[in-house]
Formats: sequence, structure tokens, C-alpha cells
Amino acid sequence: MQTTLQTVERSNPLGVRFLGFWNTFKKSRTGVLGLVMLTVIILVAIFAPLLAPYGRLETVSISDIYKPPSALHLFGTDDAGQDVFSNFVFGARVSLTVGFFAAFISIIIGGTFGLVAGFFGGRWENFIMRFTDIMLVIPDLPLMVVIVALTKPSLLNIIFVIGLLGWTTTARVVRSQTLAVKSRKFVLRARAIGASRGHIISRHILPLVMPILVVQAVLVISLAILNESALSFLGLGDPTTLSWGQMLNYAFGRGAMSAGAWWALVFPGFGIVWVVLGLTLLGQGLEQVLNPRLDTHHLMPSRPVVQNEARAKPVPSQALLEALNLSIHYVNDEGRAPARAVENVSFTLNEGELLGLVGESGCGKTTLMLALLRLLPSAGQIVDGRVYFHGRDLTALSEVEMNEIRWSGISIVFQGAMNALNPVRTVGDQIAEAIIKHIPLYPREGIPARVTELLDLVGIAADQRDHFPHQYSGGMRQRALIAMALACNPQVIIADEPTTALDVMIQAQILELLDLLRKKLGLAIVFVTHDLGIVAEMCDKVLVMYGGVTAEYANVDVIYNDSQHPYTQELLKAFPDLTKPKKKLTSIPGYPPRLDALPAGCRFAPRCPAVFDRCHAEEPSLHQIGNDGHIASCHLIERTR
Amino acid sequence: MSKKFLEVRGLKKYFEAGRPSFFAKDPRNVHAVDGVDFTLRRSEVIALVGESGCGKSTLALLLMGLENPTAGSIKFEGMDITHLNDGERKSHDLRRKIQMVFQDPYESLNPTQTIEEIVTEPLLVHGMMNTPDRDERVQKAMEDAGLKPADVYLRRYPHELSGGQRQRVVIAAALVLEPELILADEPVSMLDVSIRAEVINLLAELRIKRQIAVIFITHDLGSVGFFADRVAVMYLGRIVEIGSMLEVLENPKHPYTKALISVIPVPNPRLRHERIILQGETPNPINIPSGCRFHPRCPVAIASCALSDPPMLSLNKSHQAACLLLVK
Ligand SMILES: Nc1ncnc2c1ncn2[C@@H]1O[C@H](COP(=O)(O)OP(=O)(O)OP(=O)(O)O)[C@@H](O)[C@H]1O
Ligand code: SF4
Ligand code: SF4
Ligand SMILES: [Mg+2]
Repeated sequence: MQTTLQTVERSNPLGVRFLGFWNTFKKSRTGVLGLVMLTVIILVAIFAPLLAPYGRLETVSISDIYKPPSALHLFGTDDAGQDVFSNFVFGARVSLTVGFFAAFISIIIGGTFGLVAGFFGGRWENFIMRFTDIMLVIPDLPLMVVIVALTKPSLLNIIFVIGLLGWTTTARVVRSQTLAVKSRKFVLRARAIGASRGHIISRHILPLVMPILVVQAVLVISLAILNESALSFLGLGDPTTLSWGQMLNYAFGRGAMSAGAWWALVFPGFGIVWVVLGLTLLGQGLEQVLNPRLDTHHLMPSRPVVQNEARAKPVPSQALLEALNLSIHYVNDEGRAPARAVENVSFTLNEGELLGLVGESGCGKTTLMLALLRLLPSAGQIVDGRVYFHGRDLTALSEVEMNEIRWSGISIVFQGAMNALNPVRTVGDQIAEAIIKHIPLYPREGIPARVTELLDLVGIAADQRDHFPHQYSGGMRQRALIAMALACNPQVIIADEPTTALDVMIQAQILELLDLLRKKLGLAIVFVTHDLGIVAEMCDKVLVMYGGVTAEYANVDVIYNDSQHPYTQELLKAFPDLTKPKKKLTSIPGYPPRLDALPAGCRFAPRCPAVFDRCHAEEPSLHQIGNDGHIASCHLIERTR
Repeated sequence: MSKKFLEVRGLKKYFEAGRPSFFAKDPRNVHAVDGVDFTLRRSEVIALVGESGCGKSTLALLLMGLENPTAGSIKFEGMDITHLNDGERKSHDLRRKIQMVFQDPYESLNPTQTIEEIVTEPLLVHGMMNTPDRDERVQKAMEDAGLKPADVYLRRYPHELSGGQRQRVVIAAALVLEPELILADEPVSMLDVSIRAEVINLLAELRIKRQIAVIFITHDLGSVGFFADRVAVMYLGRIVEIGSMLEVLENPKHPYTKALISVIPVPNPRLRHERIILQGETPNPINIPSGCRFHPRCPVAIASCALSDPPMLSLNKSHQAACLLLVK
């Protein structure tokens, strides 16, 4: 297999990258529309001699001044008896040429300045950014007018003047992106192995600045076209060529208005608007693709996704919250089989109880939790099962009814939301916003007091309500999110990995807080984590998931001291235990299954140390063990009994 | 080997935090690392433990030469490397001998590079792209890092790998240069438990197979228990307790260490125990508390703690701690 390295080396990932890019771009309607608009006008410019019925600046007949549009002259004629359509078509060439070349100059200058300032920092940055600020303050157009008026108004001059003055925003944008990329860990890693600056710039900074530069370029082109039109309109265009701006200038200057010849003005104006609009739409589309923002906040929109089959209605128990045989699939548009993210999972939660949900990343924990609240992303569908809250079937509720349950019945602290707080609004404001969002009729004057009360509940001093998220430590931000989740006095809180990124001491503080809230407010909590130790420290019941199914479900003591499922047992062996520091940790070989390509039979079979023939052929069902609600899904249980 | 492998003495790093007001005379300093001493033997594993903001990562950057120390010295294989610049580090082969594995495998890989580009990049940087054993080295590094068979991964992009696999890629990129010391800054904290054991076992194995010394930086003592020879507990830029792993775990002397050990979750509900949960967070390292820097949070502080800074005391030849309660 030594050959692979060589063959791989010659493979070209660029094509693959472009395809991936195109597939995403396709989805942006504005982007595609912009691209089409732009392509049309570029084709018009390129094939101008074929399209134009008359030659460039060709006077058809002096007597045909300001003739309205007709079959002979599609866009009418102008003051010199020239065909407006032909001039429009040739004008596209001039306007686009100026736009593209001037933008090219601006992008090169702005890009270089931004890169140098962002990457090298220090004196260079100071100098460049001062200069940029000065240039930014001076209004472009008057300066251009002055310069062009002083020099010979040739097309080349105009391109240079527009190009040399239009780089400032590019410099700023590129600088801030460079700064952002530079502070990322992979750049530090490259420095640690001794990479030179040139290497870092070309291999690490540029590839990540490029997308922004492309978006910026699109905007700069449209700005350049506008500037050229403005200059021409002011009579500073190159008299030997005819751009759209100049067409406007001539029409205006030579009485098109008073002659009522609207066509001489409207069509060149239309050309400018068309290109600028096309470029703006394209820019927006590109931005969406290249700059996806993370919108996983507590204000995520909900989607009605329930797709229940008709079947006998199971009887709910007396529990506060109960999931019965829930199955959730993620569908895709590419016609592949849906990902069976969660299958046949059940649990119950009573008042004041703490349920631990444990499993490796990708095993469906978050999916299951989002499904309880029907907040799944649009591809996710509950394909089977029920969720009962106070005996009401949540899967059968309308969206309006569901909204009454969300936040005021069951509330959730989203995974990673700690890092998705709005950086430009104070934490207090964001909590107030959460209150208003979920209780629109909340008396406005009561809100500040409520915010303080919530903050107090989670142990944040009132004087910190006006601080911004970046002034909060990770632990404090997590507390603030818990405060938001408490805003509508829910009975159930789902906490999705609230301690994962935190230090052990802060973890302990958050756990202590949740435990306190549970005792004080009688909350029931679902605590999602991959940390078995935390679960052992505070949960009553534990649901261990593997690859979308229940591996084992039991009270906490059984899980740790009498587990029946090989996965639970292996997971315990992999977990460090300071009471046995000499214990060698064993990892579970292999990886969790891909949910769109599940193995036949038991989902754990490829990694299970106790696997036997039947496991590969038949999916184990959920076995009840004893009568304490202990459930495990493994063929071994049947065999030993 | 009489020569010490790595010797750190009185190491300090202060960052300027800007002046409190325009008229203030002295700029304020962030005392990120504030007098750190320790030594490391060849192929030894030391765990550096402490809360976020205690200066662990800054210490690692100082050792890597990615930050310049304010004071103190670092000796590597007997040579003073404290103030070497980038070029000198490269010419003394330090950029090959000392490698770093960063905290976040999601952040420390460039998303636009393929795995092959990432793993071969160190060779490119060190001008070793045309050595005859290049492919073999890449293959070996990847397989030693548990990416087997290597060619399955070469053409993939980071986003196509799981967290554990990404961290293996980072480790493979470090191994390809055959280092002697690996600084691992929270290498497993972003990973799933089942994979954590794998990465830790991998590092333990490398240390035996390749004689690599490891400085394992973590906030979670639990994760390194069985694998580190020694542990150093850091608080606000200083080491407050250092000793052999087992001894510190069984018999912690510093109140901070005791608290840290008490909050490590024990995976057995029958062993739920009283935990010493310190309130608040590591104070801002701009204003280091007077006396013992731990005293505002110390559950057993006495009056003199606010006044005198406790010195490091040797409890026996492999265990030291800095607490006034130990002075008797
Ligand atoms: N470049 C810098 N400029 C100013 N202050 C800094 C800089 N780097 C680190 N600090 C500060 O130094 C202190 C120690 O930081 P460091 O990153 O070393 O902590 P840490 O223990 O590694 O934390 P974590 O586990 O969160 O990474 C912190 O208060 C931090 O804000
Ligand atoms: S059913 Fe078979 S493969 Fe699955 S966990 Fe049980 S023994 Fe292992
Ligand atoms: S010196 Fe005092 S404050 Fe510091 S750790 Fe010891 S008892 Fe606590
Ligand atoms: Mg750190």
C-alpha cells in the first residue's frame, strides 16, 4: 500500500472544494439570481457587436433625434440620432471594464494592506490603519472629481483614480479577518513547528481570508461602477468612449428631459441598477455560503415536524414527563436512507427527579431532547412514539399549544449556548429579552426586578447584570443561561452538556447550583453529559444511549454496580477513577456507528467484547430486568436467564 | 544521564494589561506565570493541574518559545533556551525536539487543509519533503497515532473526522518530526470518555515506545491519574504543590489540592462524599492577593495567611507544598 501516498498527492482537492461550494451556493436564491443577472449583462457586453443593430456611436440619421422606442429602435434614439439600444450594449462594455479593473486595483491594495496590518501588527498596523482612517474620512467622490478634473479624463485615468481610492473598506475587512484567523490555534501550531511567516500566510491565512475577499470584491465592483457613472454624469468621463454614465450625462445635458425623451435616461440608468443589484445579490449569496453564522440560540425557531402513524394510543403513567418509544429520523433531499438518530427510546421523569442522559457524541442525546420540545431542525422528524407531559400528548399538540408548554412547562439550556450569547448586548438585556419572548404580556415595569431575581437565583450578583458576555467567565455564562431557562418557572429543565467545557471546580459549582434549584423549586432535571462521574455524583436515574438506542436504563446504583449491558460496562472501564489511580483505562476500540449506515443486528456489535453470532443478525430488544424499571438491550440477558 | 532534561527556574511572564487610567504611572500587569520551578527527566510524564486562568497554557507557550518570559530561565538538555529567537530555536533543532498538542482539536486543524497536508506540513517546514523515507515517516506517525490504515485518512478534511480522530491527527503531526518532549495542553478535555482513554493510552504508549517526555496540562486530575509520574498543582501563576502522583493523590497537603481532588467525580454513587467546593473563580491575576495568594478562597485560612507568602516546603524528597499550615 505504499503507492497510495504518491497517488493521493496528485489528487486535486480544489475541484472537490468547488463542487461543495457550488452545492451550498445553489441553495441561496438571491445568490443565484444575482449570478444570473450578472452573467446576462456580461454576455451582453461580450457579444455587443452581434447584439447591437447599429455600430458603436454610429449616427443613424441626424433627423432621428429623440425618437421613441419602436421596432426599428428598440430603446429609441438619443440627441445625436444614435440608437440607444446599441449604445446601451456597447456602454455595458465600458462600464463593466471600468468596474472590474478599478475593483481589481482596490482589492489588491486593500487586501495587501489589510493582510500586512492584521498579520504583522505593531507599527505597520498603526501606520496603515491611521492612513486608512484618514482615507475613509475624506469623501471619495469630491476627491475623485478633483483628481480627474486635474488630469486628462481618459478611461485609464478614471480606472486608476477609482481603484486607488476604493480600497479602504477592503483593507479594514481583510485586517479583521486576518486578525481572527491569526488567533486561531492552527496558526499557533504552525508557529510551534517553526513555520516561517510566508508559510503561515500562504498556507493558513490566505485560504481563510480569500472567501471574505471574494465577497468584498463583488461589492467593490459595484461601487466602482457607480463611481464611474457619477464621474461621467458630472461630465468627467472619457469623451472618446461611451459608458452608461456618459449616456446619462449627454441625455441630461442635451435636453432629453424637456424633450420628454425618457428612454434616453431610463435605459442607461436601468443598466447601472441592474448590475449593482445583481452584484449586491451575488454578494449576499456568497456571504451566506462563505460566512455561515451560528444561529443556535435559545430563540431558535421551532418547526412542526411530527409525523405520527395511526396506531393504538398507549396509556401514559403518572409521571411528570414521559417519553414512550420515541423514534426520530433525519431525512435528506439526496434520496439516501434517513439517519435513524433515535429509535425506540423511553424514559420517565418524576417531580424533583434528576435523570442523567449519557452517551458518546453523536449518539442522539441532543436530538432526543430537542424532540421532547419539538424543536428539531427541519430535517428531523419524530416518526414514532409519544411524549407525555402531565399526561398530555405533546406530539399531538398544535404549534400554538406547544408554545405554551415550551419554557413555561419544559425549558432547555442548549448545548454550546454559552458561546452563542449575543456579544453586543448585556447579559441582563438578554435575560429580559428571553422573558419578553416567552411571556409577551409580562408587565414591562416588572422586568428589571425579575431579571435581578433570576440572576440571584443562579448566584450572579445584581451589579453584573449590565456586563457583556465577554466579561463573564464560562461558569458565569452558564449560570446566566440557566437563569434564562428559569425565566418562565418551568417544571422541567433540560440541561444539554452544561459543564462540558468547564473546569472541574466550576463544574462542581454548576452541579451544586442545579441540585439547589431542584430542592428549592422542585424542578425535575434531565442532565445530558458524556461524563459518567458527574452522573454518579448527583443523578437518580440514568439512561445510557448508544448509537441512537437505549443501551441501558436504570437507577444510578444499578448502572454503576450491577450493569448488564456490555457498553455500560466498557464505558465504566474507560472512565478514570481516582479511588483506583493504578487502574489502567481501557478504551472502547472503534467508533460509534454512523447513523445513516448502521450495522445489521446490534448497533454495538462491531465494538462489543462479548459479541456472538446472533448479535450480527438480530437487533436485541429491550429487556426488562427485575421489576425496578431496569432495562437493557442485549442478547446476553436472554441467554443468561 | 546526569544532565537534566528540562529545568525551569523562577519563570515569570507578565502581560501588560494597559494603564488603569491615563495619568497612572505604572501600567498594570497580568501575572500569568509568577515564579515557576520544576524539572523533568527524559521520558518522564508530569501532569500540570489547575483551574482555567492559572497560567498553565502561558507556561506551555513559554516553554515552546511562543512567548518571551519576563524573568527566569529554561534549560533544555543543559542548554539555556530562555531567550532564543525563532531562528536560533530552529537551528538548535528545538522546533523538532519539542512539540505541542493543543487543547481543541476542532480549532487546531486548518479546515482548508487535507489530513495529508496537515501531517506532512512539519516536514515541509523543516525542509524534509524530499527525504527518501518521507512517506514512511508520515505513515508511521499516523499509525503510531492510531490512524490505521493511514491512507484511509489522507485525503479527508478535518470536518470529516470525529473529535478523537482529529486529536490523533494533531498528535501524528507532532510525531512526524520524532520529538523528545510533547507539551499536551488539555489534549482530551474536548473528547468523549471512550476516546479520552484512547488518547491518554496513546501518549502513555508513545512515552514507552519512543521515550518521549510529556507535560500534560489539564484541569482534571482524574484523567491523568494512572499515567503521570508526577503532578504539579498550579494556582494563580505558581506551583503550590508538586510530588509523585500517587503520593499527592493519597496524601494531598495543600488545601487547594485537597479541594481539587475532592471535586473530581467518582464514578460510583456509593462513594458520594463531601466535596470541598470553592466559591468564586480564580481571581484576576492583575491583583494578586497579599500573603498566600490562595487565602481569599482557602477554607482553612488563618490570620497570618493574608500577611506572609508561604515558601515551598519539602515534605520529603519527592513531595513539596507551599502552605503556612505546614510550617511547624
Ligand atoms: N496574551 C495575553 N495578554 C494578556 N493576558 C493574557 C494573555 N495570555 C494569557 N493571559 C492571561 O493570563 C492568565 C493565565 O492564562 P492561561 O491561558 O495561561 O490560563 P489557563 O490555566 O491555561 O486557562 P485555560 O485552562 O482556560 O486555558 C489569564 O488571566 C489570562 O487572561
Ligand atoms: S447484543 Fe451482542 S453485540 Fe450487542 S451488546 Fe449484547 S453482546 Fe454485545
Ligand atoms: S497558607 Fe493559609 S491561605 Fe494559603 S493555603 Fe495555607 S492555609 Fe490556605
Ligand atoms: Mg489553557
